[in-house]
Amino acid sequence: MAQPVVQTIHRDPALFWWILLPITVVMILTGILRHYAMILLQTAPKKQMLPQIRQQRSLVRGINLRTNANILSPSSFQARKVFMVSAYQDGKFLADPEARGKPRPNPMSDPAAMEGMMGMMKGNMAMMIPQTLIMGWINAFFSGFVIMKLPFPLTPQFKSMLQSGVGTRDLDVRWVSSLSWYFLTLFGLQPVYTFILGSNNSASQVTQQMSQMNPGAGLMGPEQDPDKLFLNEAENLEVLEHRWILDGVEDRLLARLSA
Amino acid sequence: MTQANLLTPPSSIPPPVALQLSQRAPPIIASSPTSSLPWPLSLLFNAETPETWTIHENLLLSALRTGDDKAARALLDRLTTRFGASNPRIITLRGIYEEGTAKSDKELETIFKKYEDILKEDPSNFAIRKRRVAVLKSLGRIQDAIIALTVLLENSPTDAEGWAELSELYVKVGAWGQAVFAMEEVLLIIPNAWTAHAQLATVHYLSSRSLSLPQLSALTLALKHFARSIELNESYLRGYYGLKLIAKDLIPILSSDAPSKRNNNEDDEVPLPRLETVKKLEELATNKLAEIVRQHGSGKKGWQGYDEAEVIAARELLDRDGKIER
Repeated sequence: MAQPVVQTIHRDPALFWWILLPITVVMILTGILRHYAMILLQTAPKKQMLPQIRQQRSLVRGINLRTNANILSPSSFQARKVFMVSAYQDGKFLADPEARGKPRPNPMSDPAAMEGMMGMMKGNMAMMIPQTLIMGWINAFFSGFVIMKLPFPLTPQFKSMLQSGVGTRDLDVRWVSSLSWYFLTLFGLQPVYTFILGSNNSASQVTQQMSQMNPGAGLMGPEQDPDKLFLNEAENLEVLEHRWILDGVEDRLLARLSA
Repeated sequence: MTQANLLTPPSSIPPPVALQLSQRAPPIIASSPTSSLPWPLSLLFNAETPETWTIHENLLLSALRTGDDKAARALLDRLTTRFGASNPRIITLRGIYEEGTAKSDKELETIFKKYEDILKEDPSNFAIRKRRVAVLKSLGRIQDAIIALTVLLENSPTDAEGWAELSELYVKVGAWGQAVFAMEEVLLIIPNAWTAHAQLATVHYLSSRSLSLPQLSALTLALKHFARSIELNESYLRGYYGLKLIAKDLIPILSSDAPSKRNNNEDDEVPLPRLETVKKLEELATNKLAEIVRQHGSGKKGWQGYDEAEVIAARELLDRDGKIER
């Protein structure tokens, strides 16, 4: 026997029109709808107050001084160091000087932090609800159908991925069930959304999870005590070993350019 | 140098190019990026790209620079209908437009009042704070501009642009120490900018020319910073120019009263450069300047990026002392 027997199943052509196409269209439309719902639900980023901006940028200034101190002459570096260290230690740049030395309040009681958490909740809900609904819809109406055949052979490991909801052992892996088609579209429609909605859409869940990692939270998040950060930076500045980069720059230049 | 187009940041465009760019305004104004069809269809036939509005903004600035107020007005109106009048960026652009078209000091005063009102509502609008400094500067109230700018920098000390502007204002009133301080802050933020090094060196040099007290150390610092700017960019014309100027000032001082002066400056933090080093640097700078002038003059490719005025100044400096050499 040279060739294995090719399984043939006669499918009703209406399966394509009434199951494959509706699932695909519904999935695309849900993605688009989710994108616009996310835009509606998004709260504009809260404006920082002037003292907060000052507090944060003053810290960055100290870090700049520490990392780039080498371009300053020794005397002007000393002057700056003395000023910055004493200002940090006196808490001159703090947005809220009264709260100095007190323990941080519980983040759950802080309305600003609550708002951030609400935003995350909203995003998750917009993800969860449509998925549950569509999953239920497909399970109720379309479960158990074999709707298409892939044009290439696959190993049996793909059986659980492509034939969920169809409990036959001997069926060739190339046949795809309706529930599996739902999962495939759920994870595989990102390029389609990019084509329709542009590159930074919020239709798919992958981008959702990426955007929840807040980039700016590292430096001075709400959970950190600014006073501690300032004292820390003052200490860093005090132990810094200063080397002037302009020392002997003339000789370096001559050696390089006249050689 | 690549050709500037409408997506280049407007602050780095020389005047002739700005004129060229602003002449491209009519076709852009004529073609609307937003479609005039009713809502669902307008989504489909939209020619709006992310660059569209950058082009509009840059074109607006170029048009204002070249005095094409009508085009500027049209562009501003279009931006306002797209983004709304309360968008902070639009507020700033409108401010720039009003400043650009103001005819008298009185109109500028009213704009200034408007800025004050905006700032009272939203004190963290730094763009408007900067515009306010600009208005004070064009009104000639340098002292007030300095005060406004120091308030801005007190609140946002990581703003290199602001520190550079402050340094320039201090130079205008002749406060050299403060100007140097502000310029050093710029360097702390962008430590490898050779232009900033050259600017700091220039401030040091100007201070040494205007007051006679710590002349030698200021000249030395200027020399060092110019040398650093060349170390960072080996074909930087302004660096060589400054190096040559300062070396010419330093050589007579160093060779005339070397021992006595040096003992006085023993406790000074800046070690003076050796006479031979300065002489060698002067020679190096002369050679480099001559090369740049020659190559630029002969129209060689790769040497055309220099500013015409700077090359002329370099040639003039070479001519001034180089009569014997040639």
